Amino acid sequence: MNTHATFFNEHQRATVEAAMARIIPSDDTPGAREARTVDFVDRYLSGIDYIYALPDGTGFEQLEGRRAAAWQQRVDLARSKYVVGIAELDRLCLEQHRSQFVDLEEHEQDEMLRRIERAGSPEAERAWRDTPAIAYGGPVEPALQQTNAEADMDFFNLLVTHTRQGFLADPIYGGNKDQLGWQVIGFPGPAGLAEVHTGRYSTLDYFADNRIHRGQEDNDDQQA
Amino acid sequence: MTSKPDRVDAVIIGAGASGAAAAKVLTERGLRVVALEKGPWRTKESFGGDELANVNRYNLWPDPILNPRTSRTSPDVAAEIDPFCPVPQMVGGGTVHWQGWLPRFTPNDFRLRTVAGDLPGTTLADWPISYEELEPYYDAVEWAFGVSGQAGANHFEGPRRRGYPCPPMPQSRYAEKFHDGCAKLGWNSFPTPQAALSRPFNGRPATVVSAFAQQHGDPTGTRSSALNVFIPDALATGRYELRPESYVRELVLDDRGRVKAAVYEDAAGVVFEQEADVFLLACGAVETARLMLMSTSARFPRGLANGNDLVGRNVTFHEYSASVATFDDPIYAWAGGGYVSASSFQFYEHDASRGFVSGGHIAAAGVGIPLPINWGLPGKPTWGAEAKQVDRDYFNHSMAVAMVLHDMPQHDNRVDLDDTVVDAWGLPVARITLTPHENDLAQGRFLVDRCGEILEAAGGKDVTKVYAEKVTGNCSHQHGTARMGDDPDTSVTDRHCRTHEVDNLFIVDGSPFPTATGANPTLTIMANAWRVAEFIVTSKGNR
Repeated sequence: MNTHATFFNEHQRATVEAAMARIIPSDDTPGAREARTVDFVDRYLSGIDYIYALPDGTGFEQLEGRRAAAWQQRVDLARSKYVVGIAELDRLCLEQHRSQFVDLEEHEQDEMLRRIERAGSPEAERAWRDTPAIAYGGPVEPALQQTNAEADMDFFNLLVTHTRQGFLADPIYGGNKDQLGWQVIGFPGPAGLAEVHTGRYSTLDYFADNRIHRGQEDNDDQQA
Repeated sequence: MTSKPDRVDAVIIGAGASGAAAAKVLTERGLRVVALEKGPWRTKESFGGDELANVNRYNLWPDPILNPRTSRTSPDVAAEIDPFCPVPQMVGGGTVHWQGWLPRFTPNDFRLRTVAGDLPGTTLADWPISYEELEPYYDAVEWAFGVSGQAGANHFEGPRRRGYPCPPMPQSRYAEKFHDGCAKLGWNSFPTPQAALSRPFNGRPATVVSAFAQQHGDPTGTRSSALNVFIPDALATGRYELRPESYVRELVLDDRGRVKAAVYEDAAGVVFEQEADVFLLACGAVETARLMLMSTSARFPRGLANGNDLVGRNVTFHEYSASVATFDDPIYAWAGGGYVSASSFQFYEHDASRGFVSGGHIAAAGVGIPLPINWGLPGKPTWGAEAKQVDRDYFNHSMAVAMVLHDMPQHDNRVDLDDTVVDAWGLPVARITLTPHENDLAQGRFLVDRCGEILEAAGGKDVTKVYAEKVTGNCSHQHGTARMGDDPDTSVTDRHCRTHEVDNLFIVDGSPFPTATGANPTLTIMANAWRVAEFIVTSKGNR
């Protein structure tokens, strides 16, 4: 198995890496650049060999039949959004600043990312007009249960989604290097997938100090 | 060329919560059963702690490219592809990846039409069965599963013959906040009855409390589910043949108008005709209606047992929405997966003074799926320095108080077959047509406001209310598409969940539920499947 499978050419990769570094910037804690989120998305777009990690962490599932066809379709769609999206971003940057995205200052990069965000989404455009200080970024109301389908996202929202996934998914997928993303937000994740698979990973230490529910002691006589 | 396996006593279509419960009862009572399950038969070794795969990449959720649905808000607009109200399609069904909140319905749930009266625009109806009739089966499921809970703690619960088999699950920090808030407000709260083992039970070890629980399969096999409990029980009888990846396309009739066989396709595309004495539909309320509507014949041109055009109508889905807040002290809402919770039925029962019908279950939870990738606060930026700061400040310091909205049944809210979109097998997909009733929206606002008050009373800051403005199917709960009743003109099945028009066809999932109620339905779905299976066994000699 080729564990370094990639999709981007050098320029595409540098552009995506630079954009991701604005989506989760590095400050006093690591950001997308240090967590290698670009490796995560480059591997995702490489084909369908890295869609599902084996749950014991020993490798990846080999997809077959209809599942493989569905994932090939999904990856192909994402590839085209990246290729077209990167080219369009550069075209806008050249028009505005006479430089490609990677050569802009960070504040200029932020401005250009906000521009493609607003262009791709009437909702974001509206939110930006109404309350530009706070309302940028994706759907205004996040789904409370199920996540949005990737197929419906434009390039910018796909990029934001993949940056977050690359920062915070299990490191087996190529990002979240050394669990840096988990450390930044304070998630005590498992050492690896095997720790969950074998049942050694427990979060009981993070329950309430009093493990007994309020009123439970008084009612124990009602238990059969 | 169609193969014909040996005829059996019963065919159950679906091996999820209801199909597996019915299989356990039928096989333990001596019937030979074949189960035809559309999806794969996955075992615990195939599950893991992988948020990306399970929440974001359809490892367990249906892949919308292969199994699309469509939805629209009225018959006048075009339906769009939408993974509306998905449920894992595999052995164990939704119970594979749930956290299993298992409250009982209350006695008034079975007579809400009598309690609340007529509500214009709805088809509100009493159930043909009572809480008392179902109570023995609630007890049976709770003790088969080893449900962890506390009898008497929910002051609004109906009478029960005995307590829960296991004490409540350990108290999470979000459950503690919920109890604190309710106590300050003088509202009753209780540990959420849960499909998990707080202690070893029936030869099974206590449940491992992982963060990867809600929307994740259980690699330890220690949670309680159809896959971990009912399927092994049925297999142990030696009378249960479970055929995964067997997609039933149609039920065909004999010359007396009874179901003769289920026609299904296996993974290799080979078509089989499985004959049996009785047939049980257990596909979930959306897919069961779809299969009935696909099964047209000269006798039933509008679909099987659908002479009165009610199959697929009166569909209800609940809606899950919440208030969310941040706290100074850590909540760690991912601990236990975000749903090892506490609940309240304080606003569950109907109260005419509120100006709307019925109410719903309120409970503590993480914000959405409170795991690293999918956590997020409503109204906050999703990228840039500020977004990163929100992640650092609040990932461990936020929680939700959520509600289950009791949406009203309406004649024109329905599941039917899409006339253009087909699935990966070339079969027409389910199309959902749904407009929320004003009662749904008013009730949702009221409940989300109460959720916010609990958070405020518990010391929550920056309380944000996310009202349910529409019904999106985000609970995976589904009911009503073949409602049960005593009158064949206004219902699809009788009180035994046998279709009025076809006497060897039973429906054991949520389809027969005349109302959705405001509580998580799967305990009641399993209890009702158990009840129907017992009826099938005891009435078998009389047909």
